[in-house]
Amino acid sequence: MPRVEVNKTACTGCGVCVETCPTDVLRLDPENKAIMAYAEDCQGCFVCQWDCSYEAIRVRIR
Amino acid sequence: MVTQLKTDILVIGGGIAGAFAAYKARQSGARVLLVDRSYFGRSGCSALASGVYPSYMPGDSVDDWIKGLGAGPLVNQALLVKSLPVMYEHLMTMDRWGVKWLKEGREIVRLGAPGRTFKNGAWMAEGGPQMMMAVRAGVMESGVEVLNRVAVTQLLTSDGKLPTEGRVVGAVGFHVRSGEIYAIQAKATVMCTGPYKFPYPWPGSTLGYMPVDLSGDGIAMMLSAGAQLSRLELGGINLNPDNLLCAPGLESLMPSGAKFVDKNGRRFLEDYDPKRMEMTSRALLYFAIAHQKELGNIPSMDLREITPERMELLRRVIPIVISSYEGLGLDVTKESVPYSYQVAGTAGIFGAGARVTESGNTTIPGLFAGGTCTDLAYLPGGHLPFCSVTGHWAGDTAGAYVAKAELTPLLPRQLEQAVQAIKAPLERRDGPAYGPVHRRLGELMMQKVGLVLHAQRLQEALSELLDLRENEISRLEARDHHELAKVWGLMHYTQVLEATLRAYLYRTESRVAFIREDFPIIDNVNWVKMVIVQRQGAALKLWDEPLPESFHLIPVRPTQNLHLVFRRKEPSHAPR
Repeated sequence: MPRVEVNKTACTGCGVCVETCPTDVLRLDPENKAIMAYAEDCQGCFVCQWDCSYEAIRVRIR
Repeated sequence: MVTQLKTDILVIGGGIAGAFAAYKARQSGARVLLVDRSYFGRSGCSALASGVYPSYMPGDSVDDWIKGLGAGPLVNQALLVKSLPVMYEHLMTMDRWGVKWLKEGREIVRLGAPGRTFKNGAWMAEGGPQMMMAVRAGVMESGVEVLNRVAVTQLLTSDGKLPTEGRVVGAVGFHVRSGEIYAIQAKATVMCTGPYKFPYPWPGSTLGYMPVDLSGDGIAMMLSAGAQLSRLELGGINLNPDNLLCAPGLESLMPSGAKFVDKNGRRFLEDYDPKRMEMTSRALLYFAIAHQKELGNIPSMDLREITPERMELLRRVIPIVISSYEGLGLDVTKESVPYSYQVAGTAGIFGAGARVTESGNTTIPGLFAGGTCTDLAYLPGGHLPFCSVTGHWAGDTAGAYVAKAELTPLLPRQLEQAVQAIKAPLERRDGPAYGPVHRRLGELMMQKVGLVLHAQRLQEALSELLDLRENEISRLEARDHHELAKVWGLMHYTQVLEATLRAYLYRTESRVAFIREDFPIIDNVNWVKMVIVQRQGAALKLWDEPLPESFHLIPVRPTQNLHLVFRRKEPSHAPR
């Protein structure tokens, strides 16, 4: 299944990826970092990776 | 706690159809609210587009368009012609909004797209994601209000009944994160929720591809409200790469030199359309690949002849597809990409859903529809333009309608029942969990509904579906509001699927990718007809109606021919 990897050092908690994820997979954790809250719904579309201004996200297809 | 909103026109769905419906409705001066279950600009099919907006441009031969699209007897060919100049208008509108088209100087470059004998495609220089975000900005600039992350569950009616004998007066839904419930009162409601297919398929299943959440909510809501649906049985098959959820990207890959080959490296399209090969009509391409898969010939896409320069361009035009290949570790310069087909949905060859007039009127007053949740959209390789145009027409019609319509108070009893229904899966404690039930339904579809259909298997599928719906799906528990949206999606999907299986059983012939083992004849004598499905009371009623003669620019010949699938068991050029 596809998955989203977040570099917690680079993530600023801006929330853009949470706002735009087509399938509502992402949330901010208590430390204000993006996490996959609903990993099973990730379709691997790369939108979060491209929307991130801080290069904090990598989408893995396998 | 229910948040009550009022608007003149409610547009449900934020793909290209919803965007143009909202934009055109707003131009009438009406107040417009667009509601999206996801995020307007990122949701649905349009943002994941195959990189090409195949648009008519002034000077094109209309004849070429009709012939090139392979528009068969069941297509409203006259409507197709009427839509051509509107496509061009939209192309220019989107250009003004900042959609990045591939250009030479200031001119939009046109490259090929399958099914055309001429170069007609405007290519998205930064793919579907950029296109839809620019469209979003343009639509919002016009004054359309947007409510994101609200899943609409039900239409509300003037008589408080479903199906209604009155009209649609609004809708109710919930925020998929906060759970806040919204009751939206509207003079007109425009449904633009797209096609349907099995929701949340798993990679490698024969069930569908991204967007993974196309559960047919809008089609199900229109069916419940009593709207007539049509063409459900012709929704067709989809294609996508094995083990990936990305869409195929055929519109840009085929004209770039991608080829379909079988397990021996042979270009099997020779057997189907030796003249046009991969540039054959989209319908025939889909069918040929599915057929080869059925024959065990392991169809795959060979990209090795695509030049490095074109591959760089494709990386921008279909970024999701190329990134998915690379993410899977496929080296397309050395190996080909295996392909599968999917069934039981409408995201394939034809649009299907609400029966609408050319203006986007459904059969219920106050309810309009555009795009692929209607029976208007003719899709082969032309999804985006037909959706933008039919959305536009529905928006125009809704705009004219509200000039004479009043807001109708929502009936408290219907609203309360709708709110209770929304919450029910959250409050259950003894119901089945979503995951295993979803998987069982998917496996049922894979086992009983394939490329080649038969009454016995369809009856078994229908019977098991109804059993699963009554005993499991209607009792599903949801852990939170995110899962609640998925539970509602599955409930809506099973409603549309029941209607589809019944329509499959009703059409006793074969045609394009609708293939009945027990009725193998393409029957232009008896079946140039549309099959209508409507909820009447608790039951679904089906009947057929002939297509108006005004649809046909190319005369229909009264032939009865055996479908290609049944003409031979093996391809004529099978290796010896």
